[in-house]
Amino acid sequence: MDYLNMNLWQVRDKLNSGEITSVELTKKCFQRIKDTNDLNALISTCEEFALASAKKIDEARANGAKLGALAGIPIVIKDNINLTGTKTTCASKFLANFVSPYTATCAQKLIDAGAVIIGKANMDEFAMGSSNETSAFGIVHNPVNPNYVPGGSSGGSATSVASNQCFGALGTDTGGSIREPSSFCGIVGLKPTYGRVSRYGVVAFASSLDQVGNLTRSVRDSAIMLGVIAGEDKHDMTSSAKEIPDYEQAITGSVKGLKIGIAKQFFNDKLNSEVRESLDKAIQTYVDNGAEIVNIDLPSLDTALAVYYIISSAEAASNLARFDGVKYGVQAKNFNDIVDLYFKSRTQGFGKEVKRRIMLGNYVLSSGYFDAFYRKAKRVQKVIQKEFEQAFKKCDLIVCPTTANPAFKIGEKSNDHLAMYLTDIFTVPINIAGLPAMSIPCGKNKDGLPIGMQLIAPQWKETTLFNAGDFLEQAIKEGLK
Amino acid sequence: MKYETVIGLEVHSELNTDTKCFCGCKNHFGGEPNTHCCPVCTGMPGALPMLNKKAVEYAIKMGLAVGCSINEYSAFERKNYFYPDLPKAYQISQMEHPLCMGGGVEIEVNGKKKFIRLNHIHLEEDAGKLIHTNNGTMIDYNRGGVPLIEMVSEPDMSSADEAIAFLQKIRSIVLYLGISEAKMQEGNLRCDVNVSIRKEGEPLGTRTEMKNMNSFRAVARAIRSESQRQAEELDAGHKIVQETRRWDDNAGKSYSMRTKENADDYRYFPDPDIIPIEVEKEYVEHIATTLPKLATERAKEYVEKMGLSYNDAELLTQDRKIADYFENVIKTFNQPKYVCNWILGEVFKKLNSLDNEDAEIDISPENMAKLLQLYHSETIGQATARQLLDEIWGTDKNPEIIVKEKGLAQNNDTAGLEEVLKKIIADNPKAVQELKAGNQKTMQFFVGQAMRATSGKCNPKLVNEIVNKLIK
Amino acid sequence: MPKIDVNEARKLAKLSRLEFNEDELTNFVQEFDKTLEYMDTIKKVDTSNVDLHEKTINAKKQLREDAVQESFTQEAIIANAPQSEDGAFAVPITVEEGE
Repeated sequence: MDYLNMNLWQVRDKLNSGEITSVELTKKCFQRIKDTNDLNALISTCEEFALASAKKIDEARANGAKLGALAGIPIVIKDNINLTGTKTTCASKFLANFVSPYTATCAQKLIDAGAVIIGKANMDEFAMGSSNETSAFGIVHNPVNPNYVPGGSSGGSATSVASNQCFGALGTDTGGSIREPSSFCGIVGLKPTYGRVSRYGVVAFASSLDQVGNLTRSVRDSAIMLGVIAGEDKHDMTSSAKEIPDYEQAITGSVKGLKIGIAKQFFNDKLNSEVRESLDKAIQTYVDNGAEIVNIDLPSLDTALAVYYIISSAEAASNLARFDGVKYGVQAKNFNDIVDLYFKSRTQGFGKEVKRRIMLGNYVLSSGYFDAFYRKAKRVQKVIQKEFEQAFKKCDLIVCPTTANPAFKIGEKSNDHLAMYLTDIFTVPINIAGLPAMSIPCGKNKDGLPIGMQLIAPQWKETTLFNAGDFLEQAIKEGLK
Repeated sequence: MKYETVIGLEVHSELNTDTKCFCGCKNHFGGEPNTHCCPVCTGMPGALPMLNKKAVEYAIKMGLAVGCSINEYSAFERKNYFYPDLPKAYQISQMEHPLCMGGGVEIEVNGKKKFIRLNHIHLEEDAGKLIHTNNGTMIDYNRGGVPLIEMVSEPDMSSADEAIAFLQKIRSIVLYLGISEAKMQEGNLRCDVNVSIRKEGEPLGTRTEMKNMNSFRAVARAIRSESQRQAEELDAGHKIVQETRRWDDNAGKSYSMRTKENADDYRYFPDPDIIPIEVEKEYVEHIATTLPKLATERAKEYVEKMGLSYNDAELLTQDRKIADYFENVIKTFNQPKYVCNWILGEVFKKLNSLDNEDAEIDISPENMAKLLQLYHSETIGQATARQLLDEIWGTDKNPEIIVKEKGLAQNNDTAGLEEVLKKIIADNPKAVQELKAGNQKTMQFFVGQAMRATSGKCNPKLVNEIVNKLIK
Repeated sequence: MPKIDVNEARKLAKLSRLEFNEDELTNFVQEFDKTLEYMDTIKKVDTSNVDLHEKTINAKKQLREDAVQESFTQEAIIANAPQSEDGAFAVPITVEEGE
């Protein structure tokens, strides 16, 4: 029985029935991690902690105790999420020795639901990147084809899930960092509505855009995980008190009457033809099963990327200023005085991309440029938000490609930062508008590289995503495409 | 005067909430370093701020007390700069949309009343504390994150006296509201001063900012020193450099800290971790009903209900702690005018002699009432009363017991005193002549003599009466 | 179209507390120029009707009650400090006053 190939919900049943214990399952995962070490998906593992958790769950299960939704299931979390006692490096030299003194709310919720956290996933440094090539702990390889990037910044999370090292992973998504790697690796990636999941304990990149989400092998798995991590947190003022629906129940098996919005701005001539074909097939499947297509207009969509880089860099420059070599992290060895200490620690600790964004961020916040860039960007953000609001008056769901092209080769874009930024062109508008979105695999190109379709819903309507996503997933399995 | 001085003040007051501004750590003065801390107030990766409801309430309270309008929409911004006492490398403060706008207070200097306008009041967090040693600098974040209100005045003051009067008024109100301990020496009331000078009729001159004054007196000295320095500079044909200067009270001088060019751009922007506050009218109205009676109201009560003079009532109510004390004393000893005179006289004298601006009356109201009872009933005389005040200051001692033990009671035995005085009169005919001639000062001589004869235990008032009776 | 020169880049680096050598700065300026050009595209959007103070999504009315929560231990707070002494973080002598 290849347990590792199962979906989360399937292995949950196996655990419940007693067919396998959590300890056995966890051990298998660790073996798998060793066997796929070359992919470099994880920065650290916590074998002792994991096996102890697994054992406790097995005992509780044997005693007939009431168990949480993820009881005994091995999960990976991105290495920018604090977990007491583990190193939380954010894939940076700066935090190479930082041991978390506290646990992020989202991680705590996993633990409270019985999850067995087995490791911390590799990522782009401080979540800034789209290919997982900026990590100070080595690049991550796409398990579908190791010569290709897995995407980023949650590249390690995606690779870990896609290579069956775990049954689900937490990632963070600021401009596409969950959806893009999910698309490249052929798995399901969910970015919830901004405020759905607490950010407390998650190392901040761009505070008004960051959101914790999940990467899984099926849509149902994603629904299960969201049900665990969602919720208001008094530690996070931006988290919402909105009630949490039963996400698994939202999967009805039908898309009759679903109004799907198609925007020409997402389907321009720059789109890769294979991606186009794959999307067209998927959309047709929806239509064949009772959904209808509505044309919508998102005229300011092409400015979203610029807005994103202005806002995210500004917030990042401020958020990363706390890394000064005084309170934690790596301190420079030789310095003359406190000012020198700051300069040297930061210069030695941060990678090139991080430095670039900090400089950009400070530029757009400087007096003299603040109004023209930062403030203007915030205004354009509102315009984009309103355009989506208008679109959702006419439809329930917007469908588009997750990325214009499938995964690219390692090293292909790492020297052209603008080209790298452009890979986020379809994912970034969603963060700007604060909407929930999911990437699901909808095909492969001729080289076998996965193609991802992005489903976008109005705020708080993750239920629509799960229902429509699961429908297509089943349809593809049954060869309806 | 050749130049007139223009002064603006930025006053910071630490709020005495139970917890810090953005986390639930205890807001507590002292303790071992870094023992009232958490990931939020030490700027750990992933930490987020949680705004303290009470801090907002206190800021609004202050705004209402000084006549500010309370903004319906208020937001927090990040003030970004690097300094070891700032754990996040930014301070959460307010800039474009502070909680309170406008307002002001009336001050009185040398009989002249003046209204000093406020620009605004905003809420922000305090930084940690740096402790300098020979080997290096140590950082304690216990104070980091404590809520502060910053009250910024318009440049309406024109002398050190006016600045001090303003500070005293602000301090008085803050104490009346009970929102801060307001002790400059403990650092929970701080003041930065902006000074510029100009010839009459000319536009505002370049201003300098002064920091590091730890008492009202230091503020006054700093203002005087700076306005003189600027005058000397201008007279010498130099321009005033816009800069921040550090006041050294021991040296009586200030030193340049940094000029505008050297200072980093703060890059203020709205803090994305803190949702802007929507301050509802009903909430503000509710806070208004919880405002305690402020000085002017209390003073009015003292005048109308207790028959105190307006001046006395004003002096008594300037400091809430004094007014509270007064009211506590008259609970036991209900002689408002008498108590008022005593406090404004002997007690204030005692306080001034202590050379500590933050000094408080260190005798329980009950014991003070007892002391005054003894004095009022003429059981003891003025000299003894003063002596007792000194003796029981800072202690729990009951003055009644001391009087008994030390036998300090005044001798009010008229007959016995008359005998003594008859002898003194007989021995001092010249003095009697002078007294009869109308020289009232001579009475003091008789009182002095009587004191000697009775070992200090006679009642001067009685001496007066008896002598006058005898010489008729 | 805003252009940034090496001097401005140097100032930015200081603001960011980052050190670059001359080559890196020149490189940075070239890349930055491209990025700035791209970001300039937001100018074309008409934002005259935008009210930035409109009630935000997720507007939260409940603020935190002023109730003391247990703090972390001193040990936990300084556990990751590169240098510490007697429970305090240690840095080289810092002369100038803060704010």
